[in-house]
Amino acid sequence: MTMKMNTNSPLLDVSHLCVDYLSESGEVHAVSDVSLRLRRGEILGLAGESGSGKSTMAYAITRLLRPPAEITRGEVLYYGQEFDHPGASGAKEPFDILDLSPAELRAIRWREIAIVFQSAMNALNPTMTVGNQLLDVLATHRPKMTSAQRRERARELFEMVGIAAERLKSYPHELSGGMRQRATIAIALALSPKLIIMDEPTTALDVVVQREILTELLRLREQLDLSIIFITHDLSLLLEIADTIAIMYAGRVVEMTSARELHRQPLHPYSFGMLHSFPSLHGERRLMTGIAGSPPDLRNAPTGCAFHPRCPLVFAPCAQIVPALLSTPANRVGQSVACHRYDPAHAVGMEPPTPAEMEAGYSALASTTPELGRTPA
Amino acid sequence: MNMQASAPILEADHLRKHFPVRQFRPLAKPQAVQAVEDISLALSAGHAMALVGESGSGKTTVARMLARLYEPTSGEIRFRGAPVASTKRSALHAYRHHVQMVFQDPFASLNPVHSVRHHLGRALRLHDRAHSQSEETAQILALLNKVSLTPAEQFIEKYPHELSGGQRQRVSIARALAVGPEVLLADEPVSMLDVSIRLGVLNLLLRLKQEEHLAVLFITHDIASARYFAEETLVMYAGQSVEGGPSDAVIQQPKHPYTQLLISAAPDPDRPSSAKPLPARGEIPSLITPPSGCRFHPRCPHAMPICRERFPGRTDLGEGHWTNCFLYGEGQASSAPTNQATASSTPTAES
Repeated sequence: MTMKMNTNSPLLDVSHLCVDYLSESGEVHAVSDVSLRLRRGEILGLAGESGSGKSTMAYAITRLLRPPAEITRGEVLYYGQEFDHPGASGAKEPFDILDLSPAELRAIRWREIAIVFQSAMNALNPTMTVGNQLLDVLATHRPKMTSAQRRERARELFEMVGIAAERLKSYPHELSGGMRQRATIAIALALSPKLIIMDEPTTALDVVVQREILTELLRLREQLDLSIIFITHDLSLLLEIADTIAIMYAGRVVEMTSARELHRQPLHPYSFGMLHSFPSLHGERRLMTGIAGSPPDLRNAPTGCAFHPRCPLVFAPCAQIVPALLSTPANRVGQSVACHRYDPAHAVGMEPPTPAEMEAGYSALASTTPELGRTPA
Repeated sequence: MNMQASAPILEADHLRKHFPVRQFRPLAKPQAVQAVEDISLALSAGHAMALVGESGSGKTTVARMLARLYEPTSGEIRFRGAPVASTKRSALHAYRHHVQMVFQDPFASLNPVHSVRHHLGRALRLHDRAHSQSEETAQILALLNKVSLTPAEQFIEKYPHELSGGQRQRVSIARALAVGPEVLLADEPVSMLDVSIRLGVLNLLLRLKQEEHLAVLFITHDIASARYFAEETLVMYAGQSVEGGPSDAVIQQPKHPYTQLLISAAPDPDRPSSAKPLPARGEIPSLITPPSGCRFHPRCPHAMPICRERFPGRTDLGEGHWTNCFLYGEGQASSAPTNQATASSTPTAES
């Protein structure tokens, strides 16, 4: 949670992004109207459960989506600095990634934006040594380098992510899970991108290995001035490493704020419920309630706020009107939340909910299911 | 493992499991994956024990031996004091009246072509619990209510694809309960589920543990949920047990260097910023040629020559908390274990 921001200039501006999956029974809105801003050197955490649209978002930003997925609306502005706009001559203006031609996309992929996938085993080619896969990237994108320079760069990259350079000769199956994930990070870093998108990079790993890789990542961020979009379902992990966190539910961002504020006082009832779904290592052992129900099926998502059937604070407008992501008043700068309870236009004569109210609400909801409301032995 | 509670229902003594490695050279020395080395534990009614470790630590193998899905290489399993050794079909069938298992992946453990009724009814019939159609239906409905799948009448005809992950896991818990077991072996029952649903299933298991007076073995890699769910925790590393005792003692005052590493690596937003994560080195070793002695010694910051030679015996740290580590004076009384290490390398946890 070290807030070291040398510049506050934006790197990526996503606005009103919508992605649909077209199916026989009509379209499914996987991502609806998402706006995000990533600053230089920042780690932006995207948290959400399965089906919340967090991976679809990442693939939309990198234009990796394939049919039946389709970007129906929105803008993804990228502020390249040294990078010349592939279309306009020499302009340093931001450009919309969604407008790029395939050739222009090839020019920014990997050089500017790289991606690390969840399963390192599937991201690597099992029939090639990891070194050759790394050299391949360099040969394709840096044709002017001599092969000796490429080999030198490959060794440098491996050492940068903490693997001995001899391991370049290994095949993926000869490496442990942690080393494989380090190798994919090294490959992603090959062309010194500004932005790395990491889709659940440590989910398949054990905690000790996960910690090592996260420590490495934070070090690389400082060293290379990287911006990172970190996607995970593990909110407690994001609270430790991210600067800003966006919480997604059913394809929408429901709350976006700094990690510190989110930890101190989550505003959206869903964020509150999520944060209180992780048992703690400290303090008194007490029964936790969690969130009743399950995440919605997007094929027939609830009307209004998608969270309303599970929400302890539900009131009249929730089932009808989709709440917009609004910044909250005055003292809570930079914290935005999509909940009618914080919107003076809807919550007429109502105070914003307090943590105590949310906790009581969840307990009351939970008392309708029998296993809740008891104390653990 | 001194439990204040009643006598243990299921006990395991010095369990070992080696899986032979198939080799193609006929004269080669036989090799084996030494998955579990000398694990002892005891489960008693109404209590839960968490088995914590990374992947490859042997925790699932222990559960499968207790479920008698694997035959232990050596060691003894006792149910209500009587050794269970027979591998006869009828003996295993009788054993499974008492000991049932819940698997990790509810998407794989239910048959997609069968309804909920079929899954639960089959368990009831095989174990001679229901003698007529109406009796069976009544019992299935009762089971579904027990796992909070209500209205039960709606769930009984559903197929697995119509259920969410959490609901599926509830069905597999109901199936395990169908025979009225005394012991439930839950192998990572919530790790495949979405975060917001996990707690619901954990709370269900907590309630069942109390209501049905079940002895539960709870396998997890998440040390925080071990503390939430279980009274006792046993930490395994590479097939060896390294530390155990009351969950709060093990997790808040971890003594073994591996337990300390595991806890320091766990995501924890409440961790005081002064607590620096312990440096991790290396990964779980190969279990075909494991390190000699204490298998943690190549990664241990406090390793001593003796750690390479043999595995330390158990040191009692008081109040049921124990560890297998030479740092605490193997096998000695519980007095002042921290004096054993020098001040600079005192392996006390983050404060």
